[in-house]
Amino acid sequence: MGFLDSILYGFQVTFQPINILFCGIGVLVGTLVGVLPGIGPAGAMALLLPATFKFSPTSTIILLAGIYYGVQYGGSTTSILVNIPGEASSVITCLDGYQMARQGRAGPALGIAAWGSFIAGTIANVGLMLVALPLAHAALSFGPPEYFALMCAGLLIVTYLAQGSVLKAIMMALVGLILGSIGLDVITGLPRFTFGINELTDGVGIIPLVMGLFGISEILQNLEGSLQREVFKTRVRNLWPSLKDWVEAKWAIVRGSFIGFLLGILPGGGAVIATFVAYAVEKKVAKDPERFGKGAIEGVAGPESANNAAAGGSLIPLLSLGIPPNPIMAIFFSALIIHGIQPGPLLIKQHPDLFWGLVASLYLGNALLLVLNLPLIGMWVKVLEIPYKILFPLILLFCLIGAYSINNVTFDLYVMLLFGVVGWIMRKFGYEGAPLILAYVLGPMLENALRQSLLISGGSFLIFFSRPISAIALGFALLLLLSNLFPYFKKKRQQYDQFKE
Amino acid sequence: MKTYDRISSGFWLLLSLAVFVESIRLGIGTLHNPGRGFLTFGASGLLGILALVLFVQASIRKEDAQRESLLGETLWQRIVFVLIALGLYSVFMPTLGYLISTFILMTFLFWVLEKKKIGWVFVSSFLSTVMTYLIFSKWLNCQFPDGLFGF
Repeated sequence: MGFLDSILYGFQVTFQPINILFCGIGVLVGTLVGVLPGIGPAGAMALLLPATFKFSPTSTIILLAGIYYGVQYGGSTTSILVNIPGEASSVITCLDGYQMARQGRAGPALGIAAWGSFIAGTIANVGLMLVALPLAHAALSFGPPEYFALMCAGLLIVTYLAQGSVLKAIMMALVGLILGSIGLDVITGLPRFTFGINELTDGVGIIPLVMGLFGISEILQNLEGSLQREVFKTRVRNLWPSLKDWVEAKWAIVRGSFIGFLLGILPGGGAVIATFVAYAVEKKVAKDPERFGKGAIEGVAGPESANNAAAGGSLIPLLSLGIPPNPIMAIFFSALIIHGIQPGPLLIKQHPDLFWGLVASLYLGNALLLVLNLPLIGMWVKVLEIPYKILFPLILLFCLIGAYSINNVTFDLYVMLLFGVVGWIMRKFGYEGAPLILAYVLGPMLENALRQSLLISGGSFLIFFSRPISAIALGFALLLLLSNLFPYFKKKRQQYDQFKE
Repeated sequence: MKTYDRISSGFWLLLSLAVFVESIRLGIGTLHNPGRGFLTFGASGLLGILALVLFVQASIRKEDAQRESLLGETLWQRIVFVLIALGLYSVFMPTLGYLISTFILMTFLFWVLEKKKIGWVFVSSFLSTVMTYLIFSKWLNCQFPDGLFGF
């Protein structure tokens, strides 16, 4: 099938009624989740995943993708109107978005966020089509050493890009590796670290783990303080940005799109880092950077474009290499496995309906987001006005249902609650959950690749340095690790931290 | 953060030791033929070393100007209530069934924080229980436990 035929085939798949419905539900649920604090995209995906078991994997992935980029869009609404980010990827939007709202420009801020997201999403889709295919083709020649090296490099990038201490991030990655090893050993088939608990034979479930670490812990953190939050009372009008707004924001959208796409591909990069980098770049290139933080439209357009582009970019390593680059992609990975599909270089060849259907659905979803959400902005504002005291029991109930309904066992509820408390304590002690989750997902694959490599080489670690791709990846990882010791990089990191503060 | 880092590094050190010992028990194998405990042996060893590094780093660091209390000014009692409620829900849901246990949980959660009139609490709990049941069990086919009373 040629390139154009494949795209047309993708649209044919996407325009099946069930897939249009799933795409619509996905973007709506995603936007709602983005607006609501606490539940997160992982939680929303977990909630809807059991409902997809009787549908095709393509429909499932279209739904999950809709949630993922819907969340990126919805998060900006709370940032702009309440100054509370619905998602971590919208934190930076608060700086200028909320100021714009205070100046009576909530409409253009929301409008440019929506248009920026749409344009960036479309650019990322084109990038996805162009990069995923050749990468998957190249990955066919990868063996266990290459996979091991790539996963090691990925994990180290995650820890390097961590928002707090790098040391703590590496420790979390190691804890994730240990957690990932619970259950049956892939090679011998014997249990380990199960302590006689039958439910642990299949390992710790990713859904309860993610919902606990991110969802429950965030709710617990919110419960610590006052549950009052104020929606900035303003009339949301002029959602279509003016020509002046477009002139000011156009390059920010383009830059944000490319930054987001490239950082989305990197393991651990994802939407959060992309927004920070996009904002920093906009401030750097601006003629009058003092406007930033006081309602600069580029400060909304850049990051909001970046987070949507990153959502598209992060699909590449998952679909072409079978390596999830962030916790959300780890849920995608699990969903594919549940549906009997092995993500990796053969995915595009063996399941063209899934890949091309997903690509086409990204176009449809982006358009749906724009068409559905701009007119519905009033509804999202109403959702924001629901008191948190009423929202939080419902969010907790959704988390409980999501964790339970995957396997229909209460053990998953215990796991979720345990990791909810662990996640809450981790936040207090300055540890991040993202490296843990990623290492947990990559752990079994990494171990498999390591053990297979050592079996092939007869116990020699030189196999990782005798093959060019693995040598480059490991060399890069090593450099990254050592860079923390160099004062220059330390200084840069401090500047980055200061900027973030 | 200094004290927190010392406490947390102690915890990770203990965890790494436990995993390290268990990995050896499972069998780390050889480089030619790595065993079940091979990866966790390495990961726990490294975790232990890094925990020690964190402990030393925290110990030689100057004390933070402002020492933050872990639970001092937070409404931690609320968190304890919620956690106990969720724990009890997890234990009793299979016995009581989804409808009854969820109704009790929601009543408690709405009541403990909102302190609204009891009529409002009951109606909200009833509606949220029935709506989620209809959406997730009847429409999305999630399998909820029926419990002793068959519903």
